[in-house]
Amino acid sequence: MSPIIQYMINQGVPKETLIFLLMLPIIAIVISFTRQVIGIKGFGIYTPLIITFAFLVTGLKYGLIFFITIILVGTLTRLFIRKFRLLYLPRMAITLTIVSLVVLIIFYFGAYSQKTDLITISIFVILIMITLVEKFLVAQIEKGGRGAILLTSETLILSIICYWIASWSSLQIFILSHPFVTIFLAIIISILLGKWTGLRLTEYFRFRELIKNIEIPKKRRPGKI
Amino acid sequence: MFDFLEKSHHVLGMNARILSYMRPSNSLRAIRIADNKLLSKKILKKNGLPVLQNYAIIKEMQELKNFNWNELPNSFTLKPNRGLGGEGILIVYARRKRPPYPWVKANRKIVTINDLKSHVLNILEGNYSITNLPDIAFFEERIKLLRLFKPYAYRGIPDIRIIVYNSVPIMGELRLPTKDSSGKANLHLGGIGVGIDMGTGVTTTAIHKGKTIERMPDTKLALRGIHIPGWEEILRMAIDAQRITKVGFLGIDIAIDREKGPVILELNTRPGLSIQIANLSPLGDRLKRVKGLKVKTISKGVKIAKDLFGGEIEEELEEISGRKVIGINEQIEVLDINRNKQIIMAKIDTGAYRTTICSILAKELNIDEIINQKKVRGALGVEERPIINFSFYMDKRLVSTEAFMADRSEMKYDIIIGRRDLKRFLVDPAKNVHMRRPRSI
Repeated sequence: MSPIIQYMINQGVPKETLIFLLMLPIIAIVISFTRQVIGIKGFGIYTPLIITFAFLVTGLKYGLIFFITIILVGTLTRLFIRKFRLLYLPRMAITLTIVSLVVLIIFYFGAYSQKTDLITISIFVILIMITLVEKFLVAQIEKGGRGAILLTSETLILSIICYWIASWSSLQIFILSHPFVTIFLAIIISILLGKWTGLRLTEYFRFRELIKNIEIPKKRRPGKI
Repeated sequence: MFDFLEKSHHVLGMNARILSYMRPSNSLRAIRIADNKLLSKKILKKNGLPVLQNYAIIKEMQELKNFNWNELPNSFTLKPNRGLGGEGILIVYARRKRPPYPWVKANRKIVTINDLKSHVLNILEGNYSITNLPDIAFFEERIKLLRLFKPYAYRGIPDIRIIVYNSVPIMGELRLPTKDSSGKANLHLGGIGVGIDMGTGVTTTAIHKGKTIERMPDTKLALRGIHIPGWEEILRMAIDAQRITKVGFLGIDIAIDREKGPVILELNTRPGLSIQIANLSPLGDRLKRVKGLKVKTISKGVKIAKDLFGGEIEEELEEISGRKVIGINEQIEVLDINRNKQIIMAKIDTGAYRTTICSILAKELNIDEIINQKKVRGALGVEERPIINFSFYMDKRLVSTEAFMADRSEMKYDIIIGRRDLKRFLVDPAKNVHMRRPRSI
């Protein structure tokens, strides 16, 4: 372990805090890699990042339960109150209210069945997840049902992959022993990704018929000389 | 596999579009103009380019409350000022004559004043705008569909997308609204994209929902060979709009109105990449060929586009078959007795075996020396026609033949060219379909 990290842990900085801070650039790179090189659209960098960390705090099982419940309840509420033709912010306020209510009910059942790991989950994580509902609902309004489902599932899968990477213990040990190498590498890789002009993996699929057809002009040129 | 990867270098992907073309070519000021429909219309109009007329503009809630709905005409388009990808656009075609006097949409659904109000409200709130910020709603004149496009457009107006870079039109695409796209021409909403040959303005290959197609899904009409009217003017307009707005990497949408002709609909700073699939031709390659050229005039830009990106199909065909591609009517150079050239329009007729020349013209050229006679079976019975020696150049190839001489003074063309003399040519009925009047003698 790096002496600086060791010192901070000895002074009482939680190990979790250090892992989260150093894991953040890695997760951010994974997300930008999936966008620039693979071509998964997702919701920018903030949403998958925050969901990943929420999963890290709650554990994957409860994280997924909360995530899916929140999105589902939010969507149903939106569809239900759409008829009333309300202005945007009040409409969103109602949706958030209903979602909070449902989360409250989940906690009630957690208390009833004495699931201590559930009811002791930090409420800030849940609150962040609830507020993300707005992003998903805006996507539904803009892209329509199918587009929103695709975008949401892409984000979810991306977050799960990031969760696995972040909870990989050898990686955690590495970043704690080489914090500066981690940050230096993160910046270099980000610059390389930022200059990447090649086709995205999904584009090879999207343009496959076009690429197959390119042959002709290439053959012709030498013939013309 | 390796071949596939190498070929893929010619395709323009999202990353390269942003890093290599959008960022360096499109200044913030240019993007601000293009993203603001009302502003770009104003600027284009001031510079003498055709745009659609605005009937009314609603900027705030207060204006919406005081709006006089009965001032609106019977047919119009309602648009958000900063809309993205054709969303939030409402088109009405007529107004019912009975109370509550509602308007009618293309799918015959009724639009009341309340519906309009709530649509405008949605626009003002920014639900359709790029950044979700409050937006402006405006009512615009509706385009009248060109008769030529009627069979191809499902309840909407087809438009022509042209990508212009460095004052050169790079690639074009005719976008047709379908049943799936509910009258909108945007590809991602389900419209058909048809590639255009930049040289002639004739359509080539087509895609629908990401797949290449040859015919319209429902009516089975062929999508290849549609001749876009006023192609040259459309190209000039696209270049002119780029020079005025300084959007260096521009996707411009132009529609053709039945009365007004070509009209600029909107400017895009982030044109979609599926135009490459519609044309089955990669953008990256074309952009690289134009990069860094100094294009001083609009005419030069048009010429470069036509020379570099046009007639590829024809050239390919000509190379494979070793034959020239000609249209239904061609300008030929006929040779008189002293081998002097004279230009004349001729009709290509694959139904006739032998070429026929008008006897008056033959006399004028002094080539009316009869060398043979042959019986012809025509619609009017058997007839004996004289044959003369006749030579002409078509598409720079000399054809020496024996032709019939007949009185064609009542006909549109003095010369028809038959199969016997077409062996070194391929006839493409989509080429030169403009009916130029032949020179009368």
